[in-house]
Amino acid sequence: MREKRTKVSNIGNNPESTVSAIASPRISLLMGRLVSMGGEASKKSLLKGGPLIALLLLIAYLSFASPHFFTARNLSNVAVQSSINAILAIGQTMVIISGGIDLSVGAVLALSASVAAVAMTYHGQSMVVGMLLALGTGALVGSISGIVIAKTKVPDFVATLGIMTAARGLALIVTGGLPVPSHKALLEVGAGLPSGLIWLGSGDILGVPVPALVIVAVTIMGWHILTNTTLGRAIYAIGGNREAARVSGISIDRTKIMAYTIMGLLAAVAGIVLTGRLNSANALMAGGAELHSIAAVVIGGTTLLGGAGGVVGTLIGAFIMGTLGNGLNLLGVSAFWQQVIMGMLIISVVVFDQWRRRRFAV
Amino acid sequence: MPTEPLLRLEAIDKSFPGVHALDHVDFDLYEGETHVLLGENGAGKSTLVKILSGSLPKDSGRIILRGKQVEITSSYHARLLGIGMVYQELSLIPDLSVVENIFLGRLPRRRVFFIDWPRMYEEAQQVLKKLGLIIDPKVPVRHLGLAERQLVEIAKCLSLNERILLLDEPTSALSEEERQRLFNLVNELRERGISIIYISHRLSEVPIVGQRVTVLRDGKKVATLPVNGVGEDTLIQMMVGRELKEQYPKEKMIPGEPILKVQDLEVKGALHHVDFTLHEGEIVGIYGLLNAGCTTLVRALFGLQKTDSGKIYVDGRRVTISSPEEAIGLGLGYLTRDRAGDGLIHPMPVLPNITLANLKEFSQLGLLQHQKERREGEKRIKELRVLPADLGRCAMYLSGGNQQKVVLAKWLCSGSKILIFDEPTRGIDVGAKSEIFQLFNRLVKEKVGILMISSELPEILAVADRIFVMRRGSFTAEYQRGEATQEKLLKSAS
Repeated sequence: MREKRTKVSNIGNNPESTVSAIASPRISLLMGRLVSMGGEASKKSLLKGGPLIALLLLIAYLSFASPHFFTARNLSNVAVQSSINAILAIGQTMVIISGGIDLSVGAVLALSASVAAVAMTYHGQSMVVGMLLALGTGALVGSISGIVIAKTKVPDFVATLGIMTAARGLALIVTGGLPVPSHKALLEVGAGLPSGLIWLGSGDILGVPVPALVIVAVTIMGWHILTNTTLGRAIYAIGGNREAARVSGISIDRTKIMAYTIMGLLAAVAGIVLTGRLNSANALMAGGAELHSIAAVVIGGTTLLGGAGGVVGTLIGAFIMGTLGNGLNLLGVSAFWQQVIMGMLIISVVVFDQWRRRRFAV
Repeated sequence: MPTEPLLRLEAIDKSFPGVHALDHVDFDLYEGETHVLLGENGAGKSTLVKILSGSLPKDSGRIILRGKQVEITSSYHARLLGIGMVYQELSLIPDLSVVENIFLGRLPRRRVFFIDWPRMYEEAQQVLKKLGLIIDPKVPVRHLGLAERQLVEIAKCLSLNERILLLDEPTSALSEEERQRLFNLVNELRERGISIIYISHRLSEVPIVGQRVTVLRDGKKVATLPVNGVGEDTLIQMMVGRELKEQYPKEKMIPGEPILKVQDLEVKGALHHVDFTLHEGEIVGIYGLLNAGCTTLVRALFGLQKTDSGKIYVDGRRVTISSPEEAIGLGLGYLTRDRAGDGLIHPMPVLPNITLANLKEFSQLGLLQHQKERREGEKRIKELRVLPADLGRCAMYLSGGNQQKVVLAKWLCSGSKILIFDEPTRGIDVGAKSEIFQLFNRLVKEKVGILMISSELPEILAVADRIFVMRRGSFTAEYQRGEATQEKLLKSAS
């Protein structure tokens, strides 16, 4: 019995993360399965559902530890607090599966939000134009990352590091280094952001916060792209074995550019939601967001090696981070210690996940 | 023969999910013998030696080494016990030099911190010379061909002074000449008292290298026999478990219109004035020794290698091919020789691997048609008998031969009219081989033209309608079917 537990083969990739890559749609059914099914099927679900188990344990613990945690109001709070990270992380998942990484997401978020906010407040543009500008900016910057990576063969890490720095700079130029709308503009000219935009960040539909609905929409879109489209297939293929994908007629350049463009677009979506929530945009908003999004992807079980993973895991990853932050706040843990705990969490979730896979798999 | 074996395995058992890889297998190895382990793809050969080399744990059973029971816990531990393994899938680090790879993990030191380079070079040179491998040990492994890498892999083990050597299909990437050299080496090692477990599914190798042979089938041991007096037919029957009609079935076909014409193709330093024509329903074989240029030629055809001059015509139309995407669009397909490098997508399941080169067929406006894709996948794995027959299984968990079948399936379902196969049967056993050649027959009937590079002489002689021999980037001879013999091909090639 003991021998069975020891590590089996290791080619650098995890067995089940890969299986869940293509089969990730099934994870949504997982909660039901966990409870209802016995034998082989439930064992398989258990293997896929590591991050979900962690999230459920966390929720269970916090529900006992704090009377304020498991309330409708607080849970929608968690959803809103997780939304920016979740939206970015869904895009990041696609980039990471394709074998890349995008460090520029926070900066692109800030740049698109700044462009939109400046246009809407100081240039009298409507909300629709503002949003289109934001999405256009995000997609443009994302596609530039993609083109640079595809055409110059600069590593993804380096290219997006450069784009990150440049995009922050551009955001500072666009905003003049001030929040938009600035205090002064708000008081003297009365130029504020359109109320519709604010609703996107902090409104609700039948009690469900709008950012939560945006997460649902973005997750479905990400899942759809990865499982049901040729683009998704190409993303898995180039991340799994670039040369083999190339020989099979997959265009590496086109796939990379598409993945980074979608990432840029989602950064803009996150920028719009965040601007609405803060009722303001500025060049330095969402600092460190790139690393949080990568953390959510990793916690969700997608390997940084590429070629395997899925968005549902990532969503759970983002919620683990959001729930923990919220819970620690409720428990009165200082913000400084929260960072320490979050760091430990990232490592321990991945360690736990790998142990669990070795223990139960193959 | 001494009475007590050096190594004895008793009732070794190992299961993977859905597969009983080894079912209470007994095996023994005497000092100074070469014991051949024979079996079809997925019969459990590789699993058995992986357990011995410490890279897989066994579920149950006993390993007795020199009369004492041992638990082999890691490949490092196996090494300490004097067991060395040469892997089927190469385990070299591409960016390190040959010498660094050979000595990896035990670089000789001088004064604790400094690597003793002169000593290392000298020892490496000796080992390489023993293998007859003439390469600069300072060259990064990345620059070597597959066969050379395989030899470096063996060199790595030789320098370890192991008492037991496990060779997992060491010849699958080698040319005839290199294979011969390897056999000599194996026999020489054995005479020096080293015991060797030699995995193969090439029957012709059995009497050359081995003294005893054990046949595995579906994870069970069929028999252990002395090599003398066992016929190939008996072995095939034991391996396959059924009577095999013909190893190389071939039906007569009259070639049709030319579909691929190459004129004066030139790649500086690699290809010189290559001319040939491939017709509908024709199988053209290209034979050459290592680095003769065969692979460069087909890579150039497939847009993976820049050409300096020359013309390519597909269906009589002049074309330029600058990427695999364009090549596939023109109806070409290319099964590469290096499965791990540019054939298989390991973390992807079997199904998406199979349909990857023809996603257009299984999608509409970029949306995948899962049902249609699934049906095709099911048909292909049945046709090629991929085991386990599970489309959702990750490709990396298949045995080498089954991986090859998956890559082959990819090109069979690509709908290509011109198929280029570079060593299509590499790592594939007899039973599957004859099935693959039957498939060739069917493809040919559907007017597909096949360009096949093979270093297996009997195979190319039996299957090809015409054979070109390549040497140093030029065709040196062309033979019609029936004209060529093994001797003639070898002579034109060297």
